[in-house]
Amino acid sequence: MALLEVTNLTKRFGGLVANDDVTMSVNEGEIVGLIGPNGAGKTTLFNSIAGVYNPEQGKILFRGEDITRYNPEQACQAGIARTFQIVRVFKGMTVLDNVMVGSYLRSQSDADARERALEVLKFTGLYPKKDYLASALTIADKKRLEMARALATRPTLLMLDEAMAGLNPTECQAAVDCIRAISREGITILMVEHVMEVIMPISDRIVVLNSGKKIAEGEPKAVSADPEVIKAYLGGKYVARS
Amino acid sequence: MLPVAAAVIALAYPKVFSLPYPQHVGVLICMNALMAVAWNITGGYTGQVALGNTVFFGIGAYTSSLLLRDFGVNPWIGMLAGTILSMIAAVVLGYTTFRLRGYYFTIACIAMAEIVSAIVVNTRRLGGAVGVTIPIRDASLLNFQFHGTNKAPYYYTILTFLAVALFVVYRVERSKLGYYFRAIREDEDGARALGVNPARYKLIAFMLSALFTSVAGTFYAQYVMFIDPASVLAQPVSVSMCLMAVLGGLGTLWGPVLGAMALIGISEATRVTLGGTGQAVDLMIYGLLVIVFAVFQPTGLMGMLGKLKARKE
Repeated sequence: MALLEVTNLTKRFGGLVANDDVTMSVNEGEIVGLIGPNGAGKTTLFNSIAGVYNPEQGKILFRGEDITRYNPEQACQAGIARTFQIVRVFKGMTVLDNVMVGSYLRSQSDADARERALEVLKFTGLYPKKDYLASALTIADKKRLEMARALATRPTLLMLDEAMAGLNPTECQAAVDCIRAISREGITILMVEHVMEVIMPISDRIVVLNSGKKIAEGEPKAVSADPEVIKAYLGGKYVARS
Repeated sequence: MLPVAAAVIALAYPKVFSLPYPQHVGVLICMNALMAVAWNITGGYTGQVALGNTVFFGIGAYTSSLLLRDFGVNPWIGMLAGTILSMIAAVVLGYTTFRLRGYYFTIACIAMAEIVSAIVVNTRRLGGAVGVTIPIRDASLLNFQFHGTNKAPYYYTILTFLAVALFVVYRVERSKLGYYFRAIREDEDGARALGVNPARYKLIAFMLSALFTSVAGTFYAQYVMFIDPASVLAQPVSVSMCLMAVLGGLGTLWGPVLGAMALIGISEATRVTLGGTGQAVDLMIYGLLVIVFAVFQPTGLMGMLGKLKARKE
């Protein structure tokens, strides 16, 4: 059984159908990329899984547990941690304190939480900046801090919402290395991404959304050759004639 | 080092100043500091601007006073009953208003406080608009009453309450509760994504805040020996707690204490120097100071001290 199973998920905002009958799954240990043009419903799907939205129809199973109606804190307690497209670090708190908030979720004592937080900071390379105020970090470091904070909750599934957006190529590479390292720790990753050069090489599988519907799913190579996908991204006339 | 020095000064104060007036000012500072420390738990750490804490102050004052007047219950037990009632009120108030965010929560708090005040004013059983006079008992710690011109016993009583409150906040600051409170203030959605249940932790903060405010209410009643809605259930009571915490430094341990010292100091100094007509002038200076601080020093007196310290280094 897959770690995360989304079946026939539909989410509407008034008359707008943001997700239309989407079915997808994420297996344990995988890195799954969720892509699609602007307005495809990636973030909506992401938010439904993370408990921010309640979908109208469909079901979300996580480790066999029905989490469809969970709120964000319940989703996190169940083992799903996330980052935000627009960073939501606790600006007035230090880097260490930000991560402490995450690590308290599964810590028995203050010392335990601190130890876990420092461990995560070392792992993500933020340790030298642990006493900085989060507001003083660069955008790349803020995104990394969100990842660190999420990791501190000891998740089974880590969901990254556009972790590379706004980063320069060097920062992007560093983020990719970090994601690979997280994956090696045995944490399953579901990531929404815009930057194709980034997501194609690191994903085990890709799910493509367009206008709220899933149009393709499979290995990166197969997906990038899929005429439906090329049509969605580039328009019909670029589909290679065969 | 600094807390030790502060403790020594606080303990020696009534010995050095043995006249009733400076002792009275000391009592006022400690009592207001206690209220500001309590307010700071919700307003400063959790970032919920609760302008209705006068409800808890009033519950504390009225519960002990009415129990004493009508049933002869010892004020210490009355104080305990007051804190329990206040915490229940905090749950009811919090449960109904915490779903509101930002300004709407503040408005709801003000409305709640006004409702409670209106109920008391119109209920004869609760003293109505006339208020409640606290019956005189023998002066003793057990009776929570000390007569005569020596106000030192009152001073040490309220100083003890303040010390306990500061100790509790100090512990909370360094625990899971403190981290969760600040996370909620900084970004509620961010906090939820890390498994923090904001409703639950806001409620805990509100209950703690209510507890200490209620204790201050009982103390006020036993100190002044007379309470009425205008003195313990009025909007300015809520506002002054907030002002002291803001002026001193929101979300800091010592900020509310500094704020209370500064505001009580200014208000008493202007009142004394400007005579009976000083009331309005001290409020004007008070208001002006708050505006100046909001513009130039949003982190309060604590922020200013931090900057001075940084410059020295």
